[in-house]
Amino acid sequence: MLSVRGLEVRYGRSVTALEEIDLDVGPDGVLAVLGGNGAGKSTLLRAVSGTLRLHGGAVAAGEIRFRDERIDRLDPAEIVRRGVVAVPEGRQVFARMTVEENLRAGGLGARSAAVRTAARARVAELFPVLAERATQRAGLLSGGEQQMLAIGRALMSGPDLLLLDEPSLGLAPQMVGRIARIVGEIHAQGTAVVLVEQNATMALEVADTAVVLEVGRVALAGPAAELAASDDVQRLYLGGHAESEEQAEAEAAFARQHRRTLSRWAG
Amino acid sequence: MSERVVTERSSVLVRLRTSWPSVAGVAVLLLVLLVFPVFAGVAYLKAGQYVLIGVVGAVGLTLLVGQAGQLSLAHPFFLLVGAVSYAVLAGDSGDSGDLVGLGLPPLLAVIGAVAICALVGLAFSPVSGRLRGIYLGVASLSLVFLGLYLGQSLDMLSGGTSTGRPPPTFDLFGFRFANSDPAPTILGVAIQKQQRLWYLFLVLAIVAYLLARGAVRSRVGRAWRAVRDNEAAATAMGVNVARAKAQAFTVSSAFAGLAGVMTALWLDLVKPDENEFIGTYSITVAISYLAMVLIGGLGSIPGAVAGAVLVNGLPQVLTLGATEFGWSIGTLSPVLISAFVYGAAIVLVVLFEPGGLAAIGRRLTTRQGDR
Repeated sequence: MLSVRGLEVRYGRSVTALEEIDLDVGPDGVLAVLGGNGAGKSTLLRAVSGTLRLHGGAVAAGEIRFRDERIDRLDPAEIVRRGVVAVPEGRQVFARMTVEENLRAGGLGARSAAVRTAARARVAELFPVLAERATQRAGLLSGGEQQMLAIGRALMSGPDLLLLDEPSLGLAPQMVGRIARIVGEIHAQGTAVVLVEQNATMALEVADTAVVLEVGRVALAGPAAELAASDDVQRLYLGGHAESEEQAEAEAAFARQHRRTLSRWAG
Repeated sequence: MSERVVTERSSVLVRLRTSWPSVAGVAVLLLVLLVFPVFAGVAYLKAGQYVLIGVVGAVGLTLLVGQAGQLSLAHPFFLLVGAVSYAVLAGDSGDSGDLVGLGLPPLLAVIGAVAICALVGLAFSPVSGRLRGIYLGVASLSLVFLGLYLGQSLDMLSGGTSTGRPPPTFDLFGFRFANSDPAPTILGVAIQKQQRLWYLFLVLAIVAYLLARGAVRSRVGRAWRAVRDNEAAATAMGVNVARAKAQAFTVSSAFAGLAGVMTALWLDLVKPDENEFIGTYSITVAISYLAMVLIGGLGSIPGAVAGAVLVNGLPQVLTLGATEFGWSIGTLSPVLISAFVYGAAIVLVVLFEPGGLAAIGRRLTTRQGDR
């Protein structure tokens, strides 16, 4: 459904944020994109959703295809109409508008009124709390509710591929679990998902495939279950399962030393 | 699901309950406005017409500044373009034959003038689409200076600063908006030029109000607000930000153009300003339109109307008071006093009620509905 080949993204002339990125998302797949700060996760989503230019970036090489059509030269509105919609980092709800209006704004990019009506029912079913809060200002919602609103708003355009940028950021653990279940449900209803996360535990539970980005390159790629079981991912992103404090420290030191070598693992 | 149905039904009930007084209120207001020419003299009618011009302009500006979040000081420029376009499209070549006039039917000329303003607004969209906030405000101010320069240098269009040119009398399918003998009467009062213009302006203001309200409630308005609140998120939702901004500027310019045509008919003269600070199309006017929009509450259409009544109405009322009842406060002119009053009103709004008159009105009406 989505395929990225040899993608290179630059900010300005000198900063290369992504290099030689190859990845695929199947028609009903969930791809987790893991990696530390500055690894290029958000940049990848910006490239797919066509919003790089807002951040001063550009696709320097490679291509992004959605349903075998190139989308890396399209403007963001056209990409949304093709069925790819992003939930930007930090939620970014329209704070001064009501919940209802936020959802309606999400429908602005929908292909047709029928799509909007179907999406409307789906969002009401997924997020009953949003119906309760319909007339409240979005800025007054809690963090978790804002995240639900941001996801619900994105679903209003009836996407086939949903791009989520760190939906668990700054949320209480219980809410992280809820968001994970919701992502699972969205996927079960037939929408493919790209899930960018620092919370690797949550992401690998929901995803069927995963890639790990390291300084702009794909360091690891494979089925989510395999990655979750791999020692290095556990050490680096899942916090390990140390028997004692000394062991934990030793493993952390080992992980720090071997951080760079991960890039050799590619493929 | 069943819960949602219940809430929807009850919200309809609430709407019905609150809508009765408001329907009655609108009916009374319309009736008062319709019979206004019967009990008001020409001086009052002129004052009322001036308020209606403000209503059309302010409604257009609140769409741009309040709904789309673009600061513009270019309103007077579009007033000027509207006024001159009307005179050129409907006018003749003047007594000495040195003016450009196409002699179109006045109704067509009004539509043409509005369309020209919309196009000029659209032409400014490469700038308005890229800049925001105070930067756009300053950039748009340059249009006022451009208007001043063009108005003074293009005599054959604008009539020049010394004499100007008379705008052609408006007429609608043969009914002329000028004095006639015999004149039709309402309740024994002859409906002459000023009464006719009052009704014309009233209709134009109502049309402008309804169009603006339609825009606010439509997908177009939703896109404007999305862009205003968060451009990045709006882009992610599939809103074409540049197009939404251009749309808002174009629509707002069209409203200003209509207000410009009305200004020409009200003054019975199209004449470019001699300087940029005082005059019909000057910076002062840009500021007073911003004041209307701020006092009324950014983005609110009824608020813009209330702001226009205050800002355009007050100097007129004070002037009338001075001439008819001998009101005076020292040597302060009515214009100066009202400038002070609406300056103070802006400060009060910003400090205590950023939602402006619209928010105050909303609070009053919802409290009534609760009882």
